[in-house]
Amino acid sequence: MKVLPTLCPACNSKLEVKNLICQQCDTEIQGRYELPPLASLSPDDQAFILQFMKVSGSLKEMARLLRLSYPTVRNRLDEIIERVKLAENSDKNNRKENK
Amino acid sequence: MTEIPSNKKTGPNKHLGQWLFNPFTFVAGYKALLLGLVIMLFTALVGWLGNTHFDGVLDVHTGLEAPLWVFAAEGIIDWICLAIPLYFFGLIVSPSASRMIDVVGTQALARWPYLITAVVMLPESNRRFGAYLMSRFGLTTVQVTINYIDIIIFGFAITVGIVMAIWMVALMYRAYAVSYNIKGVRAISTFIVSLIGAEVLSKCTIFLLASICPV
Repeated sequence: MKVLPTLCPACNSKLEVKNLICQQCDTEIQGRYELPPLASLSPDDQAFILQFMKVSGSLKEMARLLRLSYPTVRNRLDEIIERVKLAENSDKNNRKENK
Repeated sequence: MTEIPSNKKTGPNKHLGQWLFNPFTFVAGYKALLLGLVIMLFTALVGWLGNTHFDGVLDVHTGLEAPLWVFAAEGIIDWICLAIPLYFFGLIVSPSASRMIDVVGTQALARWPYLITAVVMLPESNRRFGAYLMSRFGLTTVQVTINYIDIIIFGFAITVGIVMAIWMVALMYRAYAVSYNIKGVRAISTFIVSLIGAEVLSKCTIFLLASICPV
């Protein structure tokens, strides 16, 4: 499965979406669109978030599914929250600079 | 259903190293508490058989005979005296919410290396060497003679005891760090303060117990 790149391989800056294409009618849309903060997470983190949503936000259920302890799962979620916050702050700063 | 890729963080990659040095990745809460209590009771039983007292959070002393309940009480006191200050310090310094059951449960399980200490202290040579040291320092008038085998066995027990103590402290710290998701200076400093305070508290509590219920 292809992984969506989120950072520039040349200078490590955040990538934006410039081109979107319709799978049905081949319509192309060009512009500059920021990737959502969740897209900047690693595939592991994204899978964790998706799974967390599917178990209705139950840390206990996540711990059972992953066969990890409750605090380990909670700590993992805390780390992902921090990364999302960093991504959001980075987006805000980029928007301010662009203005 | 989306599969969460297996990696070191999400498991299940439960190799022996993780189980030995950070079992709290996989077990905490009520499971850790139950397992820890069972191990503590076994440690008390083995300690009773070998007259090995864990009369302080980190202390190990041998020689004095006592009923089984004394050995069990010592283990429980040692555990509680550290778990409680860690719980309160963690509430202050940790940005994460934590459950008390995780803190007390993981601290109970962290004491498992002392079961090994209790086992290596079983041989009579350890008590003989202890009595020999007491007589050499004039703390008793009873004359005790030892042989080279006693020295070797005692030396081995002390070495294992020191290694187990270090291992146990490392596990206690890991339990605290995982329960509260803290690390670095905050975690280490509050852990050290709790450990020193717990050592004092446990000694006082056990002394008080001995004066109320002399054996």
